[in-house]
Amino acid sequence: MTFVEKVCVLGAGSTKYGKLSESIADITTQASVSAIESAKISPKDIQASYISNVFGVADKQVHLGPVLMSRLGIPEKPSLTIESACGSGSVSFREAYANVAAGFYDCLLVTGVEKVTHTGTEWTTTYFAYCSDFFYEGQAGASFPGLFASMARAYLTEFDATEEDFAAVAVKNHDNGVLNPKAHMQKKITIDDVMNSAVVASPLKLFDCCPFSDGASSVILCSEKFAKENGGDYIEVIGSGRGGSPAALQGREHLTTIPSTKIAVADAYKMAGITAKDIDFAEVHDCFTIAEIVDTEDLGFFDKGQGVQAVREGRTKLNSDISINPSGGLKSKGHPIGATGVGQVVEVFDQLTGKAGARTVKDAKIGLTHNFGATGASCAVHIFQSV
Amino acid sequence: MTIEEQLIEYAKQGKLLTHKCTDCGFLHLSTAYYCLKCGSKGFEDIVLEGTGSVATYTIITVAPAGFEKYTPYAFVVLQVDNTDLRISGFMPNITTPDDLPVGTKAKITGFDDRGIIIEKQ
Repeated sequence: MTFVEKVCVLGAGSTKYGKLSESIADITTQASVSAIESAKISPKDIQASYISNVFGVADKQVHLGPVLMSRLGIPEKPSLTIESACGSGSVSFREAYANVAAGFYDCLLVTGVEKVTHTGTEWTTTYFAYCSDFFYEGQAGASFPGLFASMARAYLTEFDATEEDFAAVAVKNHDNGVLNPKAHMQKKITIDDVMNSAVVASPLKLFDCCPFSDGASSVILCSEKFAKENGGDYIEVIGSGRGGSPAALQGREHLTTIPSTKIAVADAYKMAGITAKDIDFAEVHDCFTIAEIVDTEDLGFFDKGQGVQAVREGRTKLNSDISINPSGGLKSKGHPIGATGVGQVVEVFDQLTGKAGARTVKDAKIGLTHNFGATGASCAVHIFQSV
Repeated sequence: MTIEEQLIEYAKQGKLLTHKCTDCGFLHLSTAYYCLKCGSKGFEDIVLEGTGSVATYTIITVAPAGFEKYTPYAFVVLQVDNTDLRISGFMPNITTPDDLPVGTKAKITGFDDRGIIIEKQ
């Protein structure tokens, strides 16, 4: 691969995550406007947009791109909507990244959005199950909590781990989320709160699960030259990787590892010329508590089976060995699935440009985002550096 | 019959239809169109007994639409006997983890509106 341009994130913004009353078109536009204003550019500078969204049909609006571009006063500019389940945001970011790196565009708008909470728990659970390998999983009654619970059961069987260890991930992420004004669940919780919450799919309980959220996040992605000449604060993208896994859990060699994560992160580390030890903080895909433990192993932060020990020792807390999910993660910040991957980049931008307030990771220079679709059937990892 | 319909017909008889690569011998579930190992398209149909042991599972209490009336139920990943294959399915009559230790012997017993049915042996 030949990269013509260094790629930068020039501006970033999110709506609050949670149960939102505005329409999907409204929140898509709000997040985009906040990214444009953060970048100190005009919508006229944007050459195209990449929109990530999964269930637009649930809010009566698919083909979101032209609606957004019309509201931004640039209806003549092209747009593209990308779906990759819960990993849509990072996949969309990656496609935009590739276009800027190749020199095809100088300035792109990347916006992720989801609006589902109005459909209620039963139907949101049902829609999400459509992201599984439906013939084998969704059709047999598997929910997403159920699929990750199956990974959790395998982890409990294979390694020295307890349900209380899983709960500690939730407690840690809520501690961080309390410091994030955009977070869906700004509430401290205890191990007992998690252990006493209702079982959703054993061994996972309600507080092991991220909430269903509405929300939108947006970033401006551009060449270094454009960033220097036109905008405000920016950070550099130094690594980008993608990978895939067998769509159904049954097809994985190991039930406690997500192959796509390992493939994506290996590519991203190689491109950046760094290793896991160089990462100061990471926003990882903690849709369920077990997922964060598996992620931190697959990303190379801890050896296989040791992720749980790291949580027990508090090594993933804010400003400890490696700050995992300083934003609160999907668990506390919330998980509007089409927005999540972009929202992670917003957090890294805020962290590396001194805008993260009380949840700032001290002296951070390099941040990583990790976002996957479904049980990790698709994945993208990006690495960023302050300038 | 389509590939999926064939697998379903065998599941209804308590059997598992698999595809063995005629070039390298690698065994797949019958929904494979190309060999995972060598990329070949030639397969021989092999019908297995559908028996195995529980590799992992969950007991679902918050169900997708259409499954509320079955809760609690187990979603099971079955390690198929004498192969590296696994297959997922719905297991009725499971209420607590004590009902289903990992490793429990189980078997495909049918297919209906709950997908592939797997029951304890």
